[in-house]
Amino acid sequence: MLQYLVKRLLFAVPTLLAVLTVVFFIARILPGDPAQVILGEQASAEAIQALRLRLGLERPLIQQYAGFMAGALTGDWGSSMVTGRPVLGEVLNVIPYTIELTAASVILGAIIGIPLGVWSALHRNRLIDYVTRIGSLLGLSFPAFVMAIMLLLVFAIQLSWFPVISSGGSGSLGVRLQHLALPAINLGIIMAAYITRVTRSSMLEVLGEDYIRTAHAKGVPALAVVWRHSLRNALIPVVTVVGLYLGILIGNSVLTEIVFNRPGLGKLIVGALTQRDYTMLQGLMVVYTFVIVVVNLLTDLTYGMIDPRVKYQ
Amino acid sequence: MVEPAVLSVDGLTTEFRIAGKWHAAVRDIGFELARNETLALVGESGCGKSITALSIMGLIPKAAGRVAKGRILFEGRNLPELADDEMRKIRGDRIAMIFQEPMTSLNPVLTIGFQVAEVLRYHRDLGPGEARAQALDILDQVKIPSARDRLDDYPHQFSGGMRQRVMIAMALACQPRVLLADEPTTALDVTIQAQVLVLLAELKQRYGMSMIFISHNLGVVATIADRVAVMYAGEIVEIAPVGELFDRPTHPYTEALLRSIPRVDRTSDALVAIPGQVPPISRMPQGCRYAPRCGLKQPICERAGPPLEPVPGSGATHRARCWVRAGGTGAAA
Amino acid sequence: MTAVAQSPDAAPPPRSAFLQLVRAFNANKTSWVGLATMAIVLLVAIFAPLLATHDPVEQNILDKLKGPSAEYILGTDSFGRDIWSRVVYGARISLWIGTVSILIAMVVGSVIGMIAGYFGGKLDILVMQAMDVLLSFPSLILGLMVVAMMGPSIGNLIFAIALTAIPPFARIARAPTVSVKERDYIEACRALGYSHPRILTVHILPNIFPEILVMGSLWLATAIRVEASLSFIGLGVRPPTPTWGSMIREGFENILDTAWLSLVPSVAILIVVFALNMIGDGLRDVVDPKLKGERGG
Repeated sequence: MLQYLVKRLLFAVPTLLAVLTVVFFIARILPGDPAQVILGEQASAEAIQALRLRLGLERPLIQQYAGFMAGALTGDWGSSMVTGRPVLGEVLNVIPYTIELTAASVILGAIIGIPLGVWSALHRNRLIDYVTRIGSLLGLSFPAFVMAIMLLLVFAIQLSWFPVISSGGSGSLGVRLQHLALPAINLGIIMAAYITRVTRSSMLEVLGEDYIRTAHAKGVPALAVVWRHSLRNALIPVVTVVGLYLGILIGNSVLTEIVFNRPGLGKLIVGALTQRDYTMLQGLMVVYTFVIVVVNLLTDLTYGMIDPRVKYQ
Repeated sequence: MVEPAVLSVDGLTTEFRIAGKWHAAVRDIGFELARNETLALVGESGCGKSITALSIMGLIPKAAGRVAKGRILFEGRNLPELADDEMRKIRGDRIAMIFQEPMTSLNPVLTIGFQVAEVLRYHRDLGPGEARAQALDILDQVKIPSARDRLDDYPHQFSGGMRQRVMIAMALACQPRVLLADEPTTALDVTIQAQVLVLLAELKQRYGMSMIFISHNLGVVATIADRVAVMYAGEIVEIAPVGELFDRPTHPYTEALLRSIPRVDRTSDALVAIPGQVPPISRMPQGCRYAPRCGLKQPICERAGPPLEPVPGSGATHRARCWVRAGGTGAAA
Repeated sequence: MTAVAQSPDAAPPPRSAFLQLVRAFNANKTSWVGLATMAIVLLVAIFAPLLATHDPVEQNILDKLKGPSAEYILGTDSFGRDIWSRVVYGARISLWIGTVSILIAMVVGSVIGMIAGYFGGKLDILVMQAMDVLLSFPSLILGLMVVAMMGPSIGNLIFAIALTAIPPFARIARAPTVSVKERDYIEACRALGYSHPRILTVHILPNIFPEILVMGSLWLATAIRVEASLSFIGLGVRPPTPTWGSMIREGFENILDTAWLSLVPSVAILIVVFALNMIGDGLRDVVDPKLKGERGG
């Protein structure tokens, strides 16, 4: 198992390098001179030249690339061009909030989505199934910020159950949870919509399998057939989808953090983008890539827990 | 037959809904199964053998199918009338079934030991430890090598033949009175087939079970069955003791079926395929279902379906569904 | 259960992609609802100049933040602009950016996927690896990066959204190409001396077309959502051009007083995305062979 983990992490290195390379070259290939963008339209040629030197943009591309890669991998991500504080420190400050938010929304999505999907599959083509299918389709049609605004309007502004600005809450667990609730519900509902749909279709597939017929032929009660014989098999594709959904979830968490004014990677990246903080952006790209690699690994480990056919070697 | 039948099926008709209409997949199936007897159901795929077995088990999917008519008497009760939970208590305990596909019939995420023990836990109210001990005992009986070490293995770690042994172990765990075996050896290699057949015969003898053995392979049937029912397009067209059926096939379909299997005592050019196709269940002919493919067809055959009647010159145990060859009523037409 | 499987009623699958789509629509009523809704939205976008009661960018400070009235059907925003007219014109922007970017992604992605699948070998491996890396990256973040670097304009938005949508089309075009090219008739075409482009367009494209179209409708929904998200963040089309995302953004700044401003465009986005998802979802059930078992019975 440990051996497998090490091996997987080693395999992740090429992916990491590839994404970093893509990030580096996208930033260089795209038109627009960062120095020009930072200093604005009216900047003098000398000022721009000076900034280009400071940013290392005058060095050969290969050297820039080597420097960028070396820095990215050793944790030397430079300092923010706006605040002057180390990028790594800034990122580490807010990352717990983003992890907390995404983890809570995945858990919430699973708690809502899995039972709903199972229920829908068991009542296939009945009213409850149609309602669930249409409802989940509606759920995943919501742009994350639209649902966030609606939740904010109803539960924070009208009902005042939750704070309007979810600063994250630094105090007690209760306060922290209160700040987490609405953003997590927002992402959780969208997550639940996806999970419901996959669970339903994968459950339908499993219910038609030969081994389910075997379970019935053995006289296993219907409820046990669902929970013990079907669900675990049905969850295998659900794990895949949750893993694939991560990209959307990260995007949605950016929007959610903006609407609820909540600290996190999303707010950091939008701030960096509007202020043209290139070092910060590069650092954030490394973080996102790393997160994706880690989540892919977690997904694979989850497979192993669910499906005994998966071998770690 | 002095002893009452263990299982008796009478007028069984099972229907499926296709495009909003109900169509009979099997029609007017009737037979009795004596204690310790093996009855083989044979016929081409799609003839309704498996539907018959699933109807007995009460496993026809409710959304699309139903047992429309007929009785299935077992231990004094009519099975189609039982509540779901009563039927569930019979399944796997008093009547058990093994399936054709050992590769897909075991749950891939549960251990072999659990899957065998589960039957005992539900039907015998055994605790986990006791059920496991008994499961081990059964796995030994079906000759799984070093079963003790393999209880915690998963199905993918077993070969096809071994998985079918596990299926048999699960089916026999509660010592059922009737075993339904749906093509249990079809998916296996020939040598493994023989081993599994021997094992089934042996265990049947030991437990005093009755068995319904479904197969399309007449060679296998000849070795294991006491009686044979030949099915065609959802009906039993001929039923007879195994020797009688092979010596005196009466229904033209049975004849054709026997001609279509290679045999060492016949030259290969006598091997004949049956012309034509089985009619689809939504477009059954009005008369005899075999008439469109039959060489002996008479005018009456297309007007009315023949009943299952004793074959002239045999005892009441040999019956066939043919105007021309059985019953005598239609022979003159 | 073999008897059921033998059901003869199923007509042979229709050959043309068009007929297949018609059948798909008839099989699922929600597809029709989605299509009807989209048709209406499309008409609104086309006839926006006729439907709009005001100039969408005309400011009328005296009438700012008015509620719905005969003059202003849905009221006015904080600059006194007519919300109804802005929503109607916003449909044009959303549909235009969404459709063009997805068409580009469809064409480019399909070509990449077909070429990779058809020629195989190292090219295939290299191209698909690149696609996987691109795919693993959150599309909104990628879009944010591109637009932020290139500056917000309709062209750049289209480029950014198309870029994030290329990998899925490349993937979906590649798999059938690989399997189709092994078939005998493709061998025969080669033996007859047909050129590669001809084989690809005449013999392989029709096979993958239905799936690409289904993906297209689902990704069009995503594209419209991403465009709105970028506008909401402030990286969309420059104001005062009316886009739904930027209208929500402006309304959101005054959310405590005038929630109305952000709710109207929110509902507009929701209707369009939901309708597109209904179309795509209904079609997918029929086109995706893995889900085919879901119907009937």
